[in-house]
Amino acid sequence: MVERLTILKRKAEESITDEMEAAQACKRRIEHLKSYDTLPPAAKVQWKKTRLDRMLVEYFLRAGYYNTAIKLAEHTHIQDLTNIELFLVSKDVEESLAKRDTSKCLLWCYDNKSKLRKMKSTLEFNLRQQEFIEYVRNNCRMEAVRHARKYFTGLDESQLSSLRQVMGLLAFSVDTQIAPYRELLDPRRWDSLVQQFRHENFKLYQLNNHSMFTVALQAGLSALKTPQCYRDDGTSKNPDCPVCSKHLNNLACHLPFAHCSQSRLICSITGEPLNEHNPPMMLPNGHVYGYNSLLAMAAEHDGRVVCPRTKEIFNWEDAEKVFVM
Amino acid sequence: MDACMSVEREVDKVLQKLKDTATHTGESLEEAIVQVQAVARELEEGGYNGDVNVAQSLRLSQCLKKVQEAVNNLSAIHKDRHGSVSKVGKAIDRSFVSDFGSVLTDSAFDKELNVQEINQVIYEHFLRQGQLDIAQSLITESAVPVSDTQQEPFLELHHILESLKNHNLEPALAWAGANRKALEGQGSSLEFKLHRLHFIDLVSHGPSFQLNALNYARNFAPFAASHAKELQVLMGTLLYMKQGLDHSPYSSLLDSVHWLEICDIFTRDACTLLGLSVESPLSVVIRAGCAALPPLLNIKQVMQQRQCSGVWSAKDELPVEINLGKECRFHSIFACPILRQQSSSLNPPVRLVCGHVISQDALHKLANGNKVKCPYCPVEQTLNDAKQIFF
Repeated sequence: MVERLTILKRKAEESITDEMEAAQACKRRIEHLKSYDTLPPAAKVQWKKTRLDRMLVEYFLRAGYYNTAIKLAEHTHIQDLTNIELFLVSKDVEESLAKRDTSKCLLWCYDNKSKLRKMKSTLEFNLRQQEFIEYVRNNCRMEAVRHARKYFTGLDESQLSSLRQVMGLLAFSVDTQIAPYRELLDPRRWDSLVQQFRHENFKLYQLNNHSMFTVALQAGLSALKTPQCYRDDGTSKNPDCPVCSKHLNNLACHLPFAHCSQSRLICSITGEPLNEHNPPMMLPNGHVYGYNSLLAMAAEHDGRVVCPRTKEIFNWEDAEKVFVM
Repeated sequence: MDACMSVEREVDKVLQKLKDTATHTGESLEEAIVQVQAVARELEEGGYNGDVNVAQSLRLSQCLKKVQEAVNNLSAIHKDRHGSVSKVGKAIDRSFVSDFGSVLTDSAFDKELNVQEINQVIYEHFLRQGQLDIAQSLITESAVPVSDTQQEPFLELHHILESLKNHNLEPALAWAGANRKALEGQGSSLEFKLHRLHFIDLVSHGPSFQLNALNYARNFAPFAASHAKELQVLMGTLLYMKQGLDHSPYSSLLDSVHWLEICDIFTRDACTLLGLSVESPLSVVIRAGCAALPPLLNIKQVMQQRQCSGVWSAKDELPVEINLGKECRFHSIFACPILRQQSSSLNPPVRLVCGHVISQDALHKLANGNKVKCPYCPVEQTLNDAKQIFF
């Protein structure tokens, strides 16, 4: 009696500290988010950097680059703000699945039984099915039948058809070419199990199926993408523009352009905006630059200006004003 | 921000409750244990001989009841706590958008090739940040093909920057000297500023370094023409060596801002020299993305309510304009003021003789025969007078 009570006490303490930790982590994250409002501008840059690192860690975790993720999180001290542990658990399960071992995944299913049932997950059934198939593959058909009796009774209607198919497998040889059964024996089914596990895991923890990083990357590329980044001749590229850089350029290829109903002009020499303080001027070849930069160039080369894109030389007086509404 | 506040309130509540329950559970369980132990002792003292007498059994059942009660109590508290925990979850759900994936174009990034490109970009980003070990481990884990030549410039730049931050000018000066021609071509005064910092450093060490400073001043010879004024100021500092520069008119030269500034200048000049962007492209894109997501989510919601789908497909443009601020404008965009449309290679901007700019399509629409009247001023002209321009 005493013993059991002490165990209960210990367990209660354990679980309470666990929950405390979770709540603390939650609070730390919220404080991190809240701190953004009160930060001075200089620190905001740092905050944004942390945000990027956070997203990168998450992306790495999703992509399976666990070491990189852990290193980055340690380096930038954001372990508290990321879900590394959650992913490490899933890494464990995924690895064992890749080794064709269902035990860890089944254990995971058992741990999260009630939630999985609420989600109407078919993961456990699929795992059992796979085990059955493996028995058949190894020609242990009696084992397979025993396995089926143990686990496949008490399933609901919806799984009946796939169940029938699997049971039908008993009648065929391992190297059968008949359509549905050949697929059942396909080793690629393991990969799809891994995929399914990943999805269920994300769903269980209410994580999105896409990483924040890719979403932000897409939105950002779209917001920055202009037709100028994709001119064939490449003359209109700006080295500072991210979309013009080689890899991002390829990535953004299929994304929509930024929407723009108001002209936004900048001088391609200095990058300054063109407005009433720096009016746009057209050279005789039709290229437009800012007044200030052309004037500076003319002062340096006694009244002559060179078009940086075509290398033609003109007189400063020949530049004409352009009015953009 | 409100979102954070509300969630924080809930979390605080939970924390408080957890603390309470932690102490409470500990206490009540402890009590129960003591009780049971007491009963056990009693029984032993009473001479336990296989069967229990009435008083003992009464004592036992009482004790059991109490323990049961305590445990039941605990589980009730536990349930109660569950309620507040799930409230937090709901608050989080309510206040933060979780469905951000909906603005995605369908699996545009799924292909193997794209994953490689992303990894390349991330790799370069880490190189830029000088986080070499992370970059390295990314390579080993993702098997991105990279060449060593890609690393070298970043390594060098990073090394120089680090030493600049530690107020060590040597590597930067060496680099600037090696690239003097190219830097001059850019109109950069990096090298002069580096020398200036060194000089001031020497001067500020006090009179004993006077000779060193004078000797060092020879380094300024190549810059005499371009930086005459600044040189005079620098030589002026020699006057105040004895009293110390702190209380001289030149005290501003000692400001540590100059060190930060030189780091900035160095990064900028070095990056232009190597044809790189000053900021990491990845961080710019992500910044833009984070700014773009809220309006995109908004418009998505509105469009869903009005049941017009295909947010992203329309004209291959985003559905809303996203203002990213000045520093994120890298290209001129001309939107025709008549048609309210971005110009393209098929519909380029043209300048009318009066100087007003409209798009070619608009020009043709406004044309009456061969004549066009400017929509903004009374000037008339023929179609052929309009001239295509390039921003």
